[in-house]
Amino acid sequence: MMDIKLMVNNKPYTLNIEPSERLLDVLRTRLGLMGTKEGCGEGECGACTVIVDGKTVNSCLVLAAQANGSEITTIEGVGNRRKPHPVQKAFVEVGAVQCGFCTPGMVLSAKNLLDKKSKPSDDEISVAMSGNLCRCTGYDKILRAVKLASQEGN
Amino acid sequence: MKYFQPQSVREAVEIAQTSEAAFLAGGTDLVLFMQTGKIKPIALIDLGKIPQLKMIRETEGYLEIGSMATFAEMGNNELIYKQAHALWLACHTMGSPQIRNQATIGGNLGNCSPAADGLPPLLALGAEVHLVSGNGDEVIALESLLSRTPLLAQDTLIQGFRIPLKGFQSGFAKLGRRRALAIARLSVAVAIEVDGNLVTQVRVALGAVGRRAFLSEALNQDLSGQEINEAWIEKGVEQVQRIVREALGTRASAPYKRVAVSGVFREALDSFITEGGSNA
Repeated sequence: MMDIKLMVNNKPYTLNIEPSERLLDVLRTRLGLMGTKEGCGEGECGACTVIVDGKTVNSCLVLAAQANGSEITTIEGVGNRRKPHPVQKAFVEVGAVQCGFCTPGMVLSAKNLLDKKSKPSDDEISVAMSGNLCRCTGYDKILRAVKLASQEGN
Repeated sequence: MKYFQPQSVREAVEIAQTSEAAFLAGGTDLVLFMQTGKIKPIALIDLGKIPQLKMIRETEGYLEIGSMATFAEMGNNELIYKQAHALWLACHTMGSPQIRNQATIGGNLGNCSPAADGLPPLLALGAEVHLVSGNGDEVIALESLLSRTPLLAQDTLIQGFRIPLKGFQSGFAKLGRRRALAIARLSVAVAIEVDGNLVTQVRVALGAVGRRAFLSEALNQDLSGQEINEAWIEKGVEQVQRIVREALGTRASAPYKRVAVSGVFREALDSFITEGGSNA
């Protein structure tokens, strides 16, 4: 076992973990942040996307120990029902959600893009979202929602 | 399992000598292998806290890239865009944004998948690898290292790569089942040195054609010292098809890759940057 320090959604945690534990499992089972989903578990689908020190990663491919000392944003830190993030609002408005399983990862990829570039081009949006798979809506509405959020964010 | 987070290369190598530990780079392959039980390390040495390993810089005629530079960092680097264009292109097509943020060039070599996207560009650009172990430092050409089995001893750390700045023009293309997130079915990196109208050196490296990426010496002999024109490209296509045929033999994928490589080779040539700085 080892101790690690994480700042998750602006809250500091000191955790005693097994070095082999994935960041995904620590977030879900130790911190109860169930918004981060495990889809494929092998870095293909992006459902487990979180933001670590300003970069999106697949939390199924990162050990919690590797994230020691890092700042992490999960979907729970992005917005809530009363105060949704502009990306979340746009997803609802456009109807970019069907089953919703991929949505937390999609929202985090979109949020991270807009944090870095408030007015991305269509190509930049496509690239930023290319690591997140959706198996029900298709991508058209998702890409439209990100575009809408970029227009309304400012 | 024990977990070490050394602050320096020396410390990392010392731990490796005494602990039977495995080095952990970005982890996008290793964490998955641990999860599925394919690899069960006794201990891990996480290289993520060693700043020296993240450096990308130009020094004394070389472009140096630390082993822990991620694909995203390389893909955002102006030096790599200009001096190692094939590698820059590979950085933009490998995996997904999430994987590129995590995966490193050192890990790409350490894991050495047949389809490793970083290796054909490094081979074409004539990269050397800087290794550090209990026996000291070693600088070895990547193509020589790739002929070793096993690739690396347990206590050998990949410190980084250095690419000689010879003014190579270079390009890269790969074939996958979709644009993002697809493992390379075939990849081609080409680097050429030009003197006036003549191509003085041609380095072509192939990925996902056989066990490890490789550089074709024969192609250099067949294609250098000539003028670049449509006939030269046709000759290149013929030669690269022959090399794929020889490398794959009777493998099931051979009939497909033998034909497909001609398109991938042409795309790699098309991806060169022109002197104006934009894509040709």
